[in-house]
Amino acid sequence: MEFLSNYIYYIGAFGLIFIGLFIILVKHNLIKVIIGIGILDTGVNLFLIAVGYISKGTAPIFSKAGLDANNMVDPVPQALVLTSIVIGVAILALALSLAIRLYKHYGTLDLRKIKEQRW
Amino acid sequence: MVNPILLIVVPLGLAFALPIVNLISKKIIKYIPVLAFLFNLILSLLLIPKVLEQTIIVKIGGFHPPFGINLFVGPVGILFSTLIALAGFLVSIYALSYIKEGPKEKYHILYLLLLTGATGVVLTGDMFNLFVFFEILCISSYALVAYLGNKAGIESSIKYLIQGSVGSSLLLLGIGLLYGQLGTLNMADIANQINSISSPSIFVPMIFIITGLGIEAAIFPLNAWLPDAHSSAPSSISAILSGIAIEVGLYAVIRVIFTIFNASSFLMFFVFLGVLTLLIGEMSAFSQKNIKRMLAYSSIGQIGLIMFAISLNTQLGISAGFFQMISHTLGKGLLFLSVGFLIYKTGSMKISSFEGIGKKMPITSLLFTIGAFSIVGLPPFAGFASKFMIIKAALTTGQLLFTVLIGVILLGTVIEGAYFFKVIQSIYFKGTTDIIKRDEAPLIALISMSIFVLLIIFIGVYPDFIARILNSAASEFINRIDYIRSVLG
Repeated sequence: MEFLSNYIYYIGAFGLIFIGLFIILVKHNLIKVIIGIGILDTGVNLFLIAVGYISKGTAPIFSKAGLDANNMVDPVPQALVLTSIVIGVAILALALSLAIRLYKHYGTLDLRKIKEQRW
Repeated sequence: MVNPILLIVVPLGLAFALPIVNLISKKIIKYIPVLAFLFNLILSLLLIPKVLEQTIIVKIGGFHPPFGINLFVGPVGILFSTLIALAGFLVSIYALSYIKEGPKEKYHILYLLLLTGATGVVLTGDMFNLFVFFEILCISSYALVAYLGNKAGIESSIKYLIQGSVGSSLLLLGIGLLYGQLGTLNMADIANQINSISSPSIFVPMIFIITGLGIEAAIFPLNAWLPDAHSSAPSSISAILSGIAIEVGLYAVIRVIFTIFNASSFLMFFVFLGVLTLLIGEMSAFSQKNIKRMLAYSSIGQIGLIMFAISLNTQLGISAGFFQMISHTLGKGLLFLSVGFLIYKTGSMKISSFEGIGKKMPITSLLFTIGAFSIVGLPPFAGFASKFMIIKAALTTGQLLFTVLIGVILLGTVIEGAYFFKVIQSIYFKGTTDIIKRDEAPLIALISMSIFVLLIIFIGVYPDFIARILNSAASEFINRIDYIRSVLG
């Protein structure tokens, strides 16, 4: 139990990453694959936050007297995650708009039926 | 003194100013990329002598590294930024007459962003910054591959997007693991502290980062997206993707291996991977019927050759690798640009449809032929000088293994020659013998392609011209202590 409570965020993050990779590799529907990319992104973001997180920590601002610097969460991963979320949104938006165009051309989103370009 | 940060800021600023200019006049927007990269080219050329004397470290916002983000403008960075600006300038001149359909202002915005991202990757000295610039490069190239909006373009773009975004997630995960152990994102600081942690905990983030970057660099098992994406994009974009984007990816991989992780024991693996990439690329190119697909597979082969040269881990080997990158950018850029108008006039990408086009478009065909000769490595073109240098570098190591591998590489070159000469044969010696009315590519495109030819011949005849910068670039990778010292002081 001790282990679980200490590493719960890492377990969750890698769980999400593997779920995302699994969806991308296994599913045939393009929308599901895009959802998989979203879950993979979320997993990576959770991992980054978990790297800098301290249990019961405070925000890294000396807002009132008596705050201890050792008890503050690391602000750098949070800045990274903000950037990474924005990038993730851009990728998802582009992917969904491409999916709409793909549907107009082929009339299907099943990746097994879309093979104009051979590998 | 000029600040190297302008190399990134000016194209980025112009990219965002372009929609506003578009409201005022729709005619002048296509000249903005030309201006931006002319500026970058002049600035890079001015900076070269200064950088060769002493590396320039730009502290963004005045925060000293490792606390702030810094740009590292060393010989490698300035070599690449000159190459990017040169290719960007010439291709944007070509695009003046090539891009006629579609949402033009979006093309020019994305084109500026793509090359801004590439310049950022080669100049930055911060891991996360590298990731961000990489994403700028990747997202704009996903969108540009789909620019024509046809079936093939959309399909390849979505394939590229899925693989590329998995790659960038892996890269970010690797950066996160590294940050969790070292608490820093500055490349020099990571390199400084990397020996303080145990090797299994370095190995995992290294594999994540190399796999993530390797997808963009099209290293062998990760290159499934490349032939589709490069063949479906507009030809001007194929030239940039093939000549700049994958090489920037490869730059990032070798920067991570050499400077950050100092993993020279890992390089033996890369030697074999490079030879494998070369053989697979060339053999797949040989069996293609679509000309752009053939050129795309040939790019994979060239990437393998560059990887082999750099993984030799000697001064001569690394500079030969950089030389091969330059000659590949020029040669493959010229090939894609000339093929763009051959396809435009014949209306087909099939190699068989080019029969007899040498009489209809003699100048464009001649330009294609020169590009092909340079890629194959015939004297007096740049490809000969660079391939010769790679062979010399491999033989001077004196190891039997490298001598054997050079034999395999020469076999790859023979295959390369075979498929290029097949195309040249069908351009000149097949088809009708009647006199056909000439129908040449536009003058402005011919001028831009001729500058590529002049550079290819000039560098091929006089390779010493760039020898000094190649040497300094190679020493930057070998002396990682100098890299760390110059940033951290």
